[in-house]
Amino acid sequence: MVSKKSCLREPLIIRTPQGLYCPKAKAYIDPWRPVACALITHAHADHARAGSSQYHCALGGENILKKRLGEHDIRAHAYGEVFVLGQVSISFHPAGHVLGSAQIRIHDGHSVWVITGDYKRDPDPTCLMFESVTCDVLITEATFALPIYRWPSMDQVMERLFSWWDHHVRNHRTPVLLCYSLGKAQRIMAEIRNRSDRSVRVHSAVADLNLEYERQGIELCPWERATESEKKISTDLIIAPPQVAGSAFLRRFQPTELAMASGWMQVRGVRRRSTINQGFVVSDHADWDGLIRTVKETGASQVYATHGETRVLTRYLNECLGVAAERLETAFGIEVGADQ
Amino acid sequence: MNFVALFQALDTSQSTNSKRDALIAFIQQSDPLESALAVAALTDRTTRKRLKPNALKQTAYLAFGENRWLFEECYSAVGDLSETLAILFANQEASPETTQPVLANWIHRQKELGRLEFGELAKDLLSLLKAFAKDEAFLFLKLSSGGFRVGVSKGLVNDAIARAIAMDRAIIEERLMGEFIADEDWLHRLQAPVTQDELDGRPLPFLLANPLIKSDLNSIDPSNVLVEYKWDGIRAQLIKTRETIRLWSRGDHDITEQFPEIVDAAATLPPQLILDGEILAGAPDHLQGFSDLQTRLNRKRITHNLLKTHPVFFRAYDVLRRDGEDIRDKPLIYRKEVLATLAVAQSPITFPNTPEQISVMRESAREAIAEGVMIKRCDSPYVSGRKVGHWWKWKLDPMTADCVLIYAQAGHGRRASLHSDYTLACWNSEGNLVPVAKAYSGLTDAELKAMDRWIRKHTVQKFGPVRQVEPRQVFEIGFEGIARSKRHKSGIALRFPRILRWRQDVGANDADHVAHFETLMIDSYAV
Repeated sequence: MVSKKSCLREPLIIRTPQGLYCPKAKAYIDPWRPVACALITHAHADHARAGSSQYHCALGGENILKKRLGEHDIRAHAYGEVFVLGQVSISFHPAGHVLGSAQIRIHDGHSVWVITGDYKRDPDPTCLMFESVTCDVLITEATFALPIYRWPSMDQVMERLFSWWDHHVRNHRTPVLLCYSLGKAQRIMAEIRNRSDRSVRVHSAVADLNLEYERQGIELCPWERATESEKKISTDLIIAPPQVAGSAFLRRFQPTELAMASGWMQVRGVRRRSTINQGFVVSDHADWDGLIRTVKETGASQVYATHGETRVLTRYLNECLGVAAERLETAFGIEVGADQ
Repeated sequence: MNFVALFQALDTSQSTNSKRDALIAFIQQSDPLESALAVAALTDRTTRKRLKPNALKQTAYLAFGENRWLFEECYSAVGDLSETLAILFANQEASPETTQPVLANWIHRQKELGRLEFGELAKDLLSLLKAFAKDEAFLFLKLSSGGFRVGVSKGLVNDAIARAIAMDRAIIEERLMGEFIADEDWLHRLQAPVTQDELDGRPLPFLLANPLIKSDLNSIDPSNVLVEYKWDGIRAQLIKTRETIRLWSRGDHDITEQFPEIVDAAATLPPQLILDGEILAGAPDHLQGFSDLQTRLNRKRITHNLLKTHPVFFRAYDVLRRDGEDIRDKPLIYRKEVLATLAVAQSPITFPNTPEQISVMRESAREAIAEGVMIKRCDSPYVSGRKVGHWWKWKLDPMTADCVLIYAQAGHGRRASLHSDYTLACWNSEGNLVPVAKAYSGLTDAELKAMDRWIRKHTVQKFGPVRQVEPRQVFEIGFEGIARSKRHKSGIALRFPRILRWRQDVGANDADHVAHFETLMIDSYAV
């Protein structure tokens, strides 16, 4: 991955069988195998894996990481705080993806590399807004790097969500919204709170994370755990991870009406292939405009795209923006349907 | 409630009951012209495509300028041209109009656009799309360019109409046969009394056979059935009134103009007659296969030469009306007697004594250039639709071959972004793989997903949306016939090829050779 054009020096980050590696820091970024020292952008399963000896993450993400990985040596750093590892200085910067998510900036005195991890540019009441970090080399995600992916405003989405919710309550069906339990669920609950006094019931995977969000002072709409005992139609929205579709968990609220909140819902065929009737376009990833804008704002002269529509993004950057760009195969974003 | 609201209700439901409820509410509550146009759209009766796919592409190209490739990437990911444009250009923040009628106005606009030169059209369409909400843009484009589908069958629409105006479904079905005039009087017309001329000229709902299951064969009483070959042509009704002769297809289209020689031949038949039968290639004593019939289809002009080289004829097997009288309630054996008095080519019938005789006749079907046999109860009335216990079809087992996957492409609609369209190949005498078929279906959803992952990992090369893959996966395909073809590298064209199963137990080297097809071709037609 050495670029002939911009890096005459040794690259700051290389790819190894364990994951992206910074030799000067002797640290890996979101490694997919256990290593000595791991820098973690965020706690979603394709980026944070258990078994490494030491973890560094952004302050706010450490408890979520613990919930996901179990007890480990985890060191949390405030956003912007510079710490030294080996021969480089490192800092975490808000990625706007989920609570405690971060971009990682690495500086060796010569050049600055930034790894975005997963990120979005849209406002989210549950986490700090993405911050553009000037750099020489940008390693970016490309999950939704196609012009068809441009996100509607949350005003638009929530209006549709509420009218769908009310419609099915009127028709005596329990509305069930499937979404990722870390981040998306809390984001939607915070948006509900900002617009209404509606309440929801949540799957226990969501509930555990809600507690951590609330502990950090993030305000969610009123919620309770959807416990085993109640067996009836609910007028509250049920929020649960996508895996529960077709499981015993939903049976007690029958008849149910399923919707999915995900960026993939932008395409009708994707929804119709599933057993889900309604889709809401909500993503915690950058859309096409967000990705392009970010590359421009960072001023990077070299871009590596790690996962998603990397082929399209790199071709566009090379041909249309004159930014040298290459693809970089990683194990991120493997679970496409989950839309982390 | 307008068409957009109806679409949203239908598109976000998978239950037949709630779809029916939505349709009933729409028919009862909406403007009658809106519902007439909607029914036409839902039942594929919209005759003309007002905007060609190319017009839609030109519009996108105009917006993408030099980056056409980027648009093609979008199209490939979405899998539907109309939807791609709707996503890219509609106003995502706008909510669609869901009460006021839209269809009459849309059709008017589509006609206006259709009259423009490409350049002008693209500019106008682009600005129109920008003013639409996403669903509006999608529907506008889908309705104007053809191929609109929202998962409701014609039967469901008929059922909903019948319930909406509290009439019998069978009557509604009959009255909706033939030309559908989409105007604001359509509901009144459905409820009005019918004249003799209308009865004489209106096609009748087809009786559809059920596939024969092995256990059926034991329960069928051989002494109460007749057997005829299942002809491989186009099912149609021949309708002769006092003034006209028409051919009406099973797909509910007037196909008279394509087959002038059948109309000529029907001149000697008595008026006020409706026959059910099959349009076939060749002549009664010199039948040709379906591939010959295909040459006659979808022609703008039927030339004298074509009439000579590819003649067709109508082989009748049932009479539904005679002398203006509906005889569908009479037993089949009676109707066959009536048919025998008419000067028209007919399907020979046999009366079996044992189930074995039916089997034997089926075995001989390929030789007779038929697809199998039809078993019909002698006392059966001509009922509408696929009712059980009257007619059975017993097709020949398909011919099969093991083929290697060489190219894959993302599917459309429900299969958008899943690589589900396969190009399959066999070995030729030089030891190269040559394509023999494209197949789209036959795998389970789980298999499709697994194959999609495999395809993405084993892509050798990409040509736009088409991926060339490592030649390693073998599939057994089934097909109904083989014809020689100059267009295909392998020299053969298969009829209705589909994937029967994924042969994970077979390696690419063990796939079939082109010679295998040659053998099959010789066996089936005894050339």
